[in-house]
Amino acid sequence: MSLIIETSDLVKRYARFTAVSGLSLAVPEGAIYGFVGPNGAGKTTTMRVLTTLTRPTEGEARVAGYSVTAHPRAVRRSIGYMPDEFGVYDDMRVWEYLDFFAACYDIPENERRRLIDDLLELVDLTHRREDMVDKLSRGMKQRLSLARTLAHDPEVLILDEPAAGLDPRARVEIRELLVELASMGKSIFFSSHILADVSEICTHIGIIEAGQMVIQGSVADMRAQLTPWREIVVTLADGDAVGEARRLLEGMPRVLETGLLEPEDERARLSVHFDGDDAGVAGLNRALALADIGVLGFQEETKDLESLFMNVTRGVVS
Amino acid sequence: MTPTRVQLIDEAEELLEPRERALLGIARVLLGGALANGAALALTLLLALAGALRLWPGYFATAQGLLASGLTLAPDTAMAVVMLLLLADGGLLLVLMTGVLAREFWALPGLALLLLVNLAGLLLGGLTLAVVTLAPGAWALALSLREARSFRINPVMRKEFRGRMRGPRSFIVLTVYLGLMSAFTAMLYLVFGSGTVQGTGSAAIGAIGRVLFIGLVSIELLLILFIAPAFTAGAITGEREFGTWDLLQTTLLVRPALLIGKLESALGYILLLLFSSIPLQSIAFLFGGVTLAELVVSFALLSVTAIALGTLGIYFSAHTTRTLTASMRAYTVALGLLFGIPLLLNLPLFNAFVNAASGFGSGISASPVLEAIFVYVGFLLVSLNPVATALVTQQLLADRNVAGLWTLVLSSDGSTIPLVSPWISLVVFYLLISTILVALAVRRMRKVEA
Repeated sequence: MSLIIETSDLVKRYARFTAVSGLSLAVPEGAIYGFVGPNGAGKTTTMRVLTTLTRPTEGEARVAGYSVTAHPRAVRRSIGYMPDEFGVYDDMRVWEYLDFFAACYDIPENERRRLIDDLLELVDLTHRREDMVDKLSRGMKQRLSLARTLAHDPEVLILDEPAAGLDPRARVEIRELLVELASMGKSIFFSSHILADVSEICTHIGIIEAGQMVIQGSVADMRAQLTPWREIVVTLADGDAVGEARRLLEGMPRVLETGLLEPEDERARLSVHFDGDDAGVAGLNRALALADIGVLGFQEETKDLESLFMNVTRGVVS
Repeated sequence: MTPTRVQLIDEAEELLEPRERALLGIARVLLGGALANGAALALTLLLALAGALRLWPGYFATAQGLLASGLTLAPDTAMAVVMLLLLADGGLLLVLMTGVLAREFWALPGLALLLLVNLAGLLLGGLTLAVVTLAPGAWALALSLREARSFRINPVMRKEFRGRMRGPRSFIVLTVYLGLMSAFTAMLYLVFGSGTVQGTGSAAIGAIGRVLFIGLVSIELLLILFIAPAFTAGAITGEREFGTWDLLQTTLLVRPALLIGKLESALGYILLLLFSSIPLQSIAFLFGGVTLAELVVSFALLSVTAIALGTLGIYFSAHTTRTLTASMRAYTVALGLLFGIPLLLNLPLFNAFVNAASGFGSGISASPVLEAIFVYVGFLLVSLNPVATALVTQQLLADRNVAGLWTLVLSSDGSTIPLVSPWISLVVFYLLISTILVALAVRRMRKVEA
């Protein structure tokens, strides 16, 4: 898969401090890439470099195959950018806002009307077409902003904190919109300081800390990388069978270890660490049944990303 | 302006779309034309100097034969016309270049008009140097016609104007403006109509007309001084303060288009104010004493002053980060221009032109060369100040019935030097200054955050 955003050893130094020091990003085409880090980690600076708003001090950044320093206009043509603050003109209607930005992207006047209708429908703002922009709620503004980034049908969306400051409902709406856009073939690169926002919809994640990439990759890879084994929780019907069950399981191939968990509703629970495939997991279950051990529950634990990252980053990412 | 390349668009090595490359090419041709006009102007000026200092006797006659054969004017006056043409052509080509880069709808008709005027000058006046404009202009026009679809109404202008005219605000401003002007007119009439101007007959009534007219034009000038920078000083800084600057920068909108759009919308509104007060000025006609020429000249002066002060505001807006700073700087320069130059004009030597134009003699009799130099210096200073220009123009109209070219008899040796009525030079200078300020502001905006 080719990379839609790529930076190598990106450095951005301001007079007094270094905002980004040696960042190497790799965002594959079609990915929903969550760029996570605490406030002040260098997320916005990186995005400003990628959107040609600021020049990198060192290193190279390419977006959609174009260098941000050598071909900024080509980069601008292929990105839709949403900054963390919503730029409102206080005396504009919703459709005029989109019309203006579409015109800024050289979209001919006779195509704009249909485009605006389509965009408003996509972000579900058709009923607010004639309203003044500054009268919209924050969530609506954010959706309008997203519609604006789509005006020229860019390949990549670069969104700075799209969900910040939204109420839970608006947050869900934005998230759904991002997934829909990804299904339309857009690559999405967005930042957040809240991992929970990211983990649900992202295909790829990068974690930045103090201007450097801590870890990045696809969510599936990362999960595999961070947990070398699968954890299966077995709930037994009969507390006395614990010893027998443990002996049996530990004798099976690819079982690393078993452990006793806190009983739940006075039922004995076993934790099994296993590094085999799905057939192996089924084999474990079958073995327990054949040994006539009563099993109430047999479930693989999926660890949420957050707790995994907490391990990796030693708690630096909140 | 650097002569080698157009600095007003993103780098040339940039991956441009075919259309963008074509527009850049047209802009380059126009810039070349403007620079050629500048070079021709410098050359003719140098030769005229040589001719005037008798280093090349008979220069003016030769030059007129070559460059202005169709003009039935004194040779040196004809050369003044040629130089003015070169200056105006150069400035207008720069304006058109910016217009082409910003893809303004007026660029094409404007270019065609410029070519027509120059063609007329070439055929009727024998102004051969019009070729310097005609050749690159025709080339640019041919190239532009192929790209005719690229030219459009500026989106920024449309957006700004929509916002400005929405709601009651702009109508209230217009009403208050006209109300104040009417009240002022009424006051002038009451004061001067009843008391000061004594006597009967049309002369006295004409005097009332003049007072009304002059009073209105001065108050309009004052209003423009305060309104024009205020409208434009926030043009760029406002976008930064609103948080929309970054958004605009990531679009494909080129910076000349942003700047010109802002300027168009601000100037459009100021022109609306000016137009709406023409009926009030016309009341002066009921009393007589005011000629149509004066009305036209005053409108031209007010308009170009508005344009110049507007671009001044936008220039500082591009150079600072805060609207307040930009306004203060713009007002400082505007006030200096309006009130500082008259101070300078009162100094000995610098007052040579004003004195001579008023018929008092320049006061310099030592040497004709020195006298001519200071007359021209004074003339340039006057041409930078709308008040002084208005007064001198009016004086010339009243005393000599001159609104265009005239000759001044030097008091030192009785020889004559050619001059134009200062309103013409002010219009040319102010437009030229505005163009240069726009170009500088665009360059400044190109600077990406380091």
